[in-house]
Amino acid sequence: MRNSVSEDDTESNILNENGKRPKDSDGQVKKRIKTKSLYRQPTANELNRLQETEQLFNSNLFRLQVEEVLEEVKVKEKTIKRFTEWFNNLKTYLLSITNDETEYDLSEKSFVNKLKIQLPVCRQIQKTKVMFKFHKFHDVDVVGSYALGCGIKSKLIVDLQITVPAETYAKNDSINYKYHLKRAAYLAYIASYLSKYEHIDEINYSYLNSETKPIIIIKPSGKLAKAVTVNLDLVCEAEAYKLHRFAPDRNNLRESWLLGTDKKDTNETLTPTPYYNSSVLRDLTANVNQEFLKQIILNSENLKQAIVLLKIWVRQRKLKVSGYIISMLVAYFVQNKRVNNIMSSYQIVRNIWIALKSSEWDVKGITLCKENSSLDEYHNHFPLVFLDKTGCYNIFWELCKGTYYALRRESCLAIEILDDVKINSFIPLFMKPITPLIQFDHIIGFKDLKAVQDAVISRAVSTSKANYGLDLLTMVTNILYDLLMKGLGQRVDLVLQLVDHEFSWPINNVMENAKKNGYKELLSFGLILNPEMLSSTVDRGPSADLPEAEQFRDFWGEKSELRRFQDGSITEACVWDGQGTVPKQIVDYLMKVKYGVCSVFHWSRLLSPLVPSSSSSSSVRSSADVLRTRLADLELPLDISSVQGVSPVFSSTEPAPPLRHSEHNPRRRGDASLIKDQGEFRLPPYVRANTLIIELIHSGKWPGELQAFRCLKAAFHLQIAEKLKSQFNLATLARPEYLDVLQDGLVFRLKIAHTKEITLLRRELVKGVVTLRETDESLQLYCDTVIMPKLRGALHGLDRRYSAFAPTACLFKRWLSSHLLHVPGAAAELLVAYIFLQPAPLVAPRDYDTGLYRVLTLLAQHDWGKDPLVVDFNGDMTREEMSELETKYREISPRPHVFIVTPFDGECPGACSGGIGPEVTSRAVTLARAALGHAEEALHMMKDDILGLFIPSLVGYDVIIHLFPSLVPLYSHRVGANRLQPVNDDPGSAELIPVVEFNPVELYLEELRSAYDEFAVFFNDPYGGDVIAVLWRPSVEEERQLEVLNANALKPVSVKENSYKVNLDAIVEDFKILGKGLVKEIVVNNN
Amino acid sequence: MKSTKKTHDFKALELKFDKDSVSPHVIYFKEHTVREHTADKPSGRTLFIINVPPYADEKGLTNAFREAGKVVSVILTSKPNSTETKTDTFLDEPTKPTFKVCYLVFSKVADLDKALKLTELQPMNSNEHQIKVGISKWIEEYNNSIEHPKALKSKIESFMQDYDKKMAAQQEQEKELEKADDEGWVTVTKGGKIQSFARTEKVKNKIMEKEEKNKKRKELKNFYTFQIRESKMKHIVSLRQKFEEDKKKIAQIKQSRRFKPF
Repeated sequence: MRNSVSEDDTESNILNENGKRPKDSDGQVKKRIKTKSLYRQPTANELNRLQETEQLFNSNLFRLQVEEVLEEVKVKEKTIKRFTEWFNNLKTYLLSITNDETEYDLSEKSFVNKLKIQLPVCRQIQKTKVMFKFHKFHDVDVVGSYALGCGIKSKLIVDLQITVPAETYAKNDSINYKYHLKRAAYLAYIASYLSKYEHIDEINYSYLNSETKPIIIIKPSGKLAKAVTVNLDLVCEAEAYKLHRFAPDRNNLRESWLLGTDKKDTNETLTPTPYYNSSVLRDLTANVNQEFLKQIILNSENLKQAIVLLKIWVRQRKLKVSGYIISMLVAYFVQNKRVNNIMSSYQIVRNIWIALKSSEWDVKGITLCKENSSLDEYHNHFPLVFLDKTGCYNIFWELCKGTYYALRRESCLAIEILDDVKINSFIPLFMKPITPLIQFDHIIGFKDLKAVQDAVISRAVSTSKANYGLDLLTMVTNILYDLLMKGLGQRVDLVLQLVDHEFSWPINNVMENAKKNGYKELLSFGLILNPEMLSSTVDRGPSADLPEAEQFRDFWGEKSELRRFQDGSITEACVWDGQGTVPKQIVDYLMKVKYGVCSVFHWSRLLSPLVPSSSSSSSVRSSADVLRTRLADLELPLDISSVQGVSPVFSSTEPAPPLRHSEHNPRRRGDASLIKDQGEFRLPPYVRANTLIIELIHSGKWPGELQAFRCLKAAFHLQIAEKLKSQFNLATLARPEYLDVLQDGLVFRLKIAHTKEITLLRRELVKGVVTLRETDESLQLYCDTVIMPKLRGALHGLDRRYSAFAPTACLFKRWLSSHLLHVPGAAAELLVAYIFLQPAPLVAPRDYDTGLYRVLTLLAQHDWGKDPLVVDFNGDMTREEMSELETKYREISPRPHVFIVTPFDGECPGACSGGIGPEVTSRAVTLARAALGHAEEALHMMKDDILGLFIPSLVGYDVIIHLFPSLVPLYSHRVGANRLQPVNDDPGSAELIPVVEFNPVELYLEELRSAYDEFAVFFNDPYGGDVIAVLWRPSVEEERQLEVLNANALKPVSVKENSYKVNLDAIVEDFKILGKGLVKEIVVNNN
Repeated sequence: MKSTKKTHDFKALELKFDKDSVSPHVIYFKEHTVREHTADKPSGRTLFIINVPPYADEKGLTNAFREAGKVVSVILTSKPNSTETKTDTFLDEPTKPTFKVCYLVFSKVADLDKALKLTELQPMNSNEHQIKVGISKWIEEYNNSIEHPKALKSKIESFMQDYDKKMAAQQEQEKELEKADDEGWVTVTKGGKIQSFARTEKVKNKIMEKEEKNKKRKELKNFYTFQIRESKMKHIVSLRQKFEEDKKKIAQIKQSRRFKPF
């Protein structure tokens, strides 16, 4: 409320202008205070706030949420108090360490023996002879985010820093890791002291990024331990070395030392070691930069808030960008006047995102130092450049290109999300954690990382070996990253390395020994694919006569071939197989050719056995088109105005799309086959009908009475059937509700739809006035004939736009059904559509595996029962409409648990998601969480068999009804079964309509549900599940009284007291009776 | 206590599906007594049964009670009701299996008394009767559902003829009403010559809307000072309202602990 004073004045002025008003309003105020209504006089503060929100923040909601989250992550006062006390004690203790006059040779055991703890560096560094003497340090500082006041409560780490006096290091200690060794010795010296300190629970060694630069991790004793971890780091006085000694083109790490060769240094040209240099420079410049940060950030509340927000944003995305880098970036933008403290935190964050989005730090670096302008020099040696205050140290030295590109890409997305007014952008930006599982379309892992690492190192050039020194993992990561980027090129939007090598070990242990148990370095790469290149199988190289062609051939080896293209050009090109995914082939090929690595783990398309081929869906669609033109040619009393498909197959979202059938069945009636009921019964192949909705041109002559209306509709069905038969010689079967037509061996079910029928169903007479009331039947009809045709069209559009949509929908439907969850197909499809239409904070998935994990995440994270899910297909809905829907949703009673709205819903919002109960929802949410956990684990363990996700657990059900598999339609579709080869396409040979949609399991379930719904719930997998799981409703255990209207299935317990119970045994026997011939066995779980 | 007394009238016996049934349902029955007996459920000869299992059919129940005497008719319905409602529908409503009630009419009054004294019922699947259930039932249903086009056609034709006749009769009746009756009253109907608006909700709403509009048009919005003041206030109020709404939303999100980012 900075401007509140001035606002106050103007406010009172306005009031005084009108002589009458003060008195008038006084009176009103009194009245209003009584009612405490919205009409109270606004105060200056309030007006100010309302105004400020409009100008400085995106929206009220955004501002409130920012405030909430900042409050949530703020470090508690209590913790600060406790820590300050603890730190002061620690400081006094540490400062009591005195100089040690003895000089130790660090390559010998004497130092370690004296300290009784180990040095925190690897043995290789320790081979150098270095004389070390401990000089007392002068201060212990709190640095980093905690000192700046932008710490985050969860996993709070306080950074302490001790500045090592310059005299510790000798002049030539800068080379060959002598500096690092001394630093480690200094740290060990302090650690040995700390180990005797009483207010510490635990003390461990660890390192940040590089193994050569250890730190101490302290767990304070007492209650503080829960809230805080303390990292103790060492830096060096700036006077120790001249900074230019570590300029990027200087060499400070001799190859002869590193590789143990005996070559004299003088004989070789010294290669630059920018990476090694930076690791020393970081210590030398730390104090200057810390001071600079303090100056800019410490007293600027809004900057601090912005930093906290950015940190949350980065942490949710699991990007390896430290808080230090974020703070430095913010400071840079402050210095460059892109942001300032007067801006609101929202504006700062937004400006930084915009700046990040357009940044090109891989070619045009940035610097905090005004004098220095030798950025080019740095670009030659570093992939990314951001120079610090001194102009010598590259803050981005450890940052990988992949991370930077990811950061830039995320910033782009963040701006897009912010600009989308229709969503509450705060949630996707700051509240949704992004895991590799849902983010990447393809993850490449290495089962035997050690072997890969050795292979890469053995073929690495010596310059990079010298540069990275002992940080082998970093080197391997960067080399592989470059290889992947070059190999995959346009095919990927992003390659991001996923490295995990965090490690800490007790101070009395040697690092190598500690690593032996339980430590595993992990390196994998996540790919986000470029949707435009998904289907291309050819990578075109340069024209054959250009010099670049030679390089291309070098890189691709024998895979590169000369090709002549349709446009006449002759270029080098690589041609890949169209069967598997191309990125997989490229990676496999490159890893094999370049490093001889054969076993690369691919986390991509692991669920392909469950994805139906798209060809059968498209053949259904083309046959439907033929039928459509034929229908248009018919001469009918009323012309057909439209024919629209409503079956899932029309948007390719049918997990078991229909196949052509040609059946030879002697029993027939009219054009239709009958089921043989004599002799041994064999289940006819399951034929799905593809439903089309027919609309006729408008006519006022439809009867105004429901039964007559239906009768006339039946007459139309009959007539269409007759005409189709006589004009095109198609097999037809007319029924009152619909007619079946056989076109190209596929059965199409045509239904005439007319809105009048819905109106007739809704009609009701109340006090002589005709009112329209929604009934179950009318809602169903509305859903089937009005919403579905439009929805199916939109979903088909989505299928054309995103190739991953339809397979994802199939997988998700299969997942739901395999876990016996009864969710309407349309609702499942809409959930999948949602993640493609509103993928924030990510982009729409390119592949179905990722798609499935995204839907499961949506299922697990969405607030069912509180928030509606709005699936807006073409951005047709306005924000007002959406919020109106939200309020409407809250008013419905009883509030449906799952409420999915589409723009097509019209007068019945949420019609597609009706009938999903809270039990189903909560079970689905639990299962989704478990499935994600399972997948996460499989990814971590690099297992490629994850079909287990689709195997249900039958534990916990009361009764399991086993069916004869031979009578279960689609039995061959169940998970783990061998896929049936599609029957040869043989249109024309079939003259009879086969037995359509005869599903004994479905019929059985219908009977069970209709008879026993009040006692039990029935679950079944419609895709070949041969069990029906039954759960008793909790009320069956209760004792009841016998009443005429409520006598079902009761058995007497004691007649005198009129006490009865539900006869469960009899019901189970009924299951057997009703399912005669189908039920193999019934197992009752008594637990 | 009334209900207790009533239920005590029922006699409970096990009704077996076939002779091998292990745990059959218990059915409850008594004499059918209501104030007004209809012809199909004659007084004194009708047995009222509740909790009849879903698969039970007429023949089966006759079998069960065959020791009591000759059964003339069996009426199975899902709910006990005294009057038979039979609307003429074009489509047959599909029969869904549920627990039912049954009215069993014996040929003699004595048989009913015998039935009430029975100590055991015969299984339904006996006496060479097999209730169709399971696969064979579904096959039969499927095959029956397939009609020859000719059959369908004649069905449609007969229904439409009936319907047309009915409509004609209705129109006739309405015309009758149009004429002034003895006291000179005329009934206004939809089909008549006298224009009237349809009595539907839609029409009602339309008229009401029109009225509202007319009212609004007559009003001046910013004539008086208080009106201007009020409109300003309204703006603030709407801002406030939005603010309050947002606050509510936040509270809701907070409740679901969504503000814990990690």
